[in-house]
Amino acid sequence: MEFDWSVVVEAMPALLSGARLTVLIALAGLVGGLVVGVVAGFMRAYGNAILNAVAFTYVEVIRGTPIVVQVMFIYFALPLLADLRVNPMTAAVTAIVVNAGAYIAEIVRGSLLSVNKGLKEAGLALGLPVWKVLAYIVGPIAFRRMIPPLGNQFIVSLKDTSLFIVIGVGELTRQGQEIMAANFRAVEIWSAVAVLYLIMTSTLTLILRVTEKRMRIL
Amino acid sequence: MSIVEFRNVTKAFGNVTVLKEVDLNIEAGEVVVLIGPSGSGKSTLLRCINALEEIDGGDLVVDGISVREGRSKVRLIRQEAGMVFQQFNLFPQMTALANIAFGPRRVRGVGKAEAIGQARELLAKVGLADRGHHYPSELSGGQQQRVAIARALAVKPKLMLFDEPTSALDPELRHEVLRVMQSLAEEGMTMIVVTHEIAFARQVGSRLIFMEGGKISVDGDPAELLDNPENPRLREFLQHVH
Repeated sequence: MEFDWSVVVEAMPALLSGARLTVLIALAGLVGGLVVGVVAGFMRAYGNAILNAVAFTYVEVIRGTPIVVQVMFIYFALPLLADLRVNPMTAAVTAIVVNAGAYIAEIVRGSLLSVNKGLKEAGLALGLPVWKVLAYIVGPIAFRRMIPPLGNQFIVSLKDTSLFIVIGVGELTRQGQEIMAANFRAVEIWSAVAVLYLIMTSTLTLILRVTEKRMRIL
Repeated sequence: MSIVEFRNVTKAFGNVTVLKEVDLNIEAGEVVVLIGPSGSGKSTLLRCINALEEIDGGDLVVDGISVREGRSKVRLIRQEAGMVFQQFNLFPQMTALANIAFGPRRVRGVGKAEAIGQARELLAKVGLADRGHHYPSELSGGQQQRVAIARALAVKPKLMLFDEPTSALDPELRHEVLRVMQSLAEEGMTMIVVTHEIAFARQVGSRLIFMEGGKISVDGDPAELLDNPENPRLREFLQHVH
């Protein structure tokens, strides 16, 4: 068979609008997931028994179920349970936030606990309250160590947005699927879709590498 | 009034009792050297003073404040009792100067310029005036420990606690740390030092305490005790240390 470039050119506007949506969902999801993950991670690492149990349950439930099930639950089950109407876009962003948050919580917890206990003691011995020790000493060191695993999670989450095809969000994979269903040019369309994902993930990788280089990883 | 007062202090880790009903008074200006076999409770005793370890029984009063009075009071004790650790524990993301200026800025609320100025003076005092912009990873162990001493001094404590400050150092680096400690003692700083440096105990210490099994078993003048150890366990211990 012959690779027909004109199919790609023709499909490009629709694919790009899908890619824009993918970036949007991923970006919103990662910012939200970072906030949720940092809070849950601190709860796991330094919280009392109750906070710890709450965060632990959250992480276990989310990590233990597929993201497709989670988004289906938010989109189809939640309206029945709580009389809550959600549009596909809201459901998608919520799912990414909740899902990435759980994994990021473990990244945050691991990084916090990897910081030498002696540094916390040195801070406390100066007469600092615990929160200042975390904010000025342990937190910054942990943050530098989080960057490589966070990069991993960001890329996984970006690609996970393709699963929102199941609730009809018009992101990149969905756009590809629709075009393909109309013209049956599977090779051209899925190649173009794959390359667009690669461009997005490699941009992310580049940003992370620059951030990492600019910080002294300790 | 004593600056440190142990009253019947007991400390246990699980079911291992590390300090057994310890009574001890330390006066301002004393240089107390704590020695003893490992597991005898000397580090724990030191760490109870600034409440890095919580005591289980009795009372411990530092500079008029009990370690049992609650978190904010404990912070006041810690500001008056600087600590130097075996592993230095410098903040790796900060330069030597920033490490020293950190305490005054974040604990005492001193302005940045003033804190940096003080830090420079302290760095010069420990003989590292030209190392201010180096990160801890760029300094030798002896230099790191001297920066750590300056960091503790920066908060202007009344009392300094040293937890085996030279144990992680090569022999040739020890003397530079010991020299700084000696000059500190000569300035009249109250010091409590857990160490195996017997020569330091003799030269600089004003009081020697030998601990074993969670109790103080010998307490007296360093030179007398080291020249003529009457306690058989101390005599045996000294033979092993030399």
